[in-house]
Amino acid sequence: MANARAQPPVLVAQGIGHLTRNFLREVGGVFWFIVNTFQETFERIQKGRVPFRATSFFRHTERAGVDSVPLVGLVSFFLGLTMALLTGYQLQRFGTERLIPGLVAIAFTRELGPLLTGIMLAARIGAAFTAELGTMQVNEEVEAIEAMGIGPLRFLVAPRMLALFFLMPCLSTVSNIAAIFASSLVCKAYFSMAFPYFLDLVKDSLLIRDIITGILKSFMFGLLIAAIACYRGLTVKGGAAGVGTSTTSSVVTAITTVIGFDTLYNIVYTTFYPT
Amino acid sequence: MSTPTHMVEMRDVCMQFEEKKVLDGLSLKVAPQERLVILGQSGSGKSTILRLILGTLRPASGSIFFRRHEITRLQRGRLQRVRQHIGMVYQYSALLSSRTVSENVALPLEELTDKSRSEIDKIVDEKLELVGMEDSKDLLPEELSGGMRKRVALARALVLQPELILLDEPSAGLDPVIASVIDELIITLTEKSKVTSITATHEMDSAFRIATRMAMLYQGKIIEEAKPEEFKQSKNPVVAQFLSGSTEGPILEGTLDAITKK
Repeated sequence: MANARAQPPVLVAQGIGHLTRNFLREVGGVFWFIVNTFQETFERIQKGRVPFRATSFFRHTERAGVDSVPLVGLVSFFLGLTMALLTGYQLQRFGTERLIPGLVAIAFTRELGPLLTGIMLAARIGAAFTAELGTMQVNEEVEAIEAMGIGPLRFLVAPRMLALFFLMPCLSTVSNIAAIFASSLVCKAYFSMAFPYFLDLVKDSLLIRDIITGILKSFMFGLLIAAIACYRGLTVKGGAAGVGTSTTSSVVTAITTVIGFDTLYNIVYTTFYPT
Repeated sequence: MSTPTHMVEMRDVCMQFEEKKVLDGLSLKVAPQERLVILGQSGSGKSTILRLILGTLRPASGSIFFRRHEITRLQRGRLQRVRQHIGMVYQYSALLSSRTVSENVALPLEELTDKSRSEIDKIVDEKLELVGMEDSKDLLPEELSGGMRKRVALARALVLQPELILLDEPSAGLDPVIASVIDELIITLTEKSKVTSITATHEMDSAFRIATRMAMLYQGKIIEEAKPEEFKQSKNPVVAQFLSGSTEGPILEGTLDAITKK
């Protein structure tokens, strides 16, 4: 009843407070989820036992990694193609089309490769993880695992998290190579740039630092996507409808988090390395 | 606080889900090798009691002991070790849908013991033979009937040779013949392995077949505890109404009027 009499500014403040509280609760939830998964996994290792079976890890790496190569490769190829073509015509006006290889290479290795791969994997694999774990949760399978004395975090979450953690950099590299290759085709076809010359220009402009930045970012993206997807899956409530809602929410949260984290990373990075 | 002498002991346990109070100062003791059946209406908190003993739910207040371990105070690692001495059969079996029957039964052995592959296979075959499921070992849970799933769940619950087995509605949704088969299986296996069992059910036939002792849960408390033959003769009006299945009595007081008015 208090709400009915509240003034609009109070309602806005209430709304903001409510959203902030939910946001902080979710951030805290995912953070402790990651911590507990690590803890449960290391406790198992300390006992001298493997935390999960290798087959489980490889099944997830195959699904998340190998099976994602065509999608990541194709999307990055077309984006590299478009980027080289559109920037090429602009740069040609100033006679600087030789900057295309460096531009595409730096843009993809530092930024677009990891970011695009992150977004694609959040949609493709994150959704699959949430739906799979969510269904297990609804069918009491997760509780049954817990009831047997098996830690569900190290058994179900750790192999998925580790698979995405290690595969994101690999897939980012696939994305980079596909985009650079596509831009080399454009450079050859439209700007008469020979492949060896193109490669020389890429090597001249690309720094090791750019590559390391992209790789480090990818590791973190992989961890975040897997953590958010598994967290959403294991906290599903409300049957089949709940699985659907959580899957949508998982993809949206993972994509937003990846972009948000990328921005934060770039702010910190450019503060320390401005060039 | 005195040390518990029973297999399971619940002392003054309260539990509520949001506003709804499910258990209200419940106390219960289960002796070793006993087959206790907890009776009660749907939604009265029978499954909650099993989950509290297992430690997958935490009570709002009160203590729960399994042997000398106070479940309510155990840290995650210790709790996981204690759970290896307890087997649980869920109402809908809760078999892992992506694993075959034999993989489901083998899971606790693979994850929690140092047994070799051949030893695990041998134990799995033995347990599946005990429940009459040796010919279905390569099938997926979705290819099984309700009764078959229950038998696999029973084999999985017994595979680590637990001291206590918790059964949530073991014969619900099964035809009377298969329900009797499951009940007989529970009796045989618990007697053979000298396992204590706690069964939550509202199926009267099944309850009287399995139980060596029965307890009636009503409004968050155990209102009657007795051996099956004494339980049948109970003068408690709630128990009498529950056993007779009558609509007249304290259980539906007010509810029936509300339904009729609608």
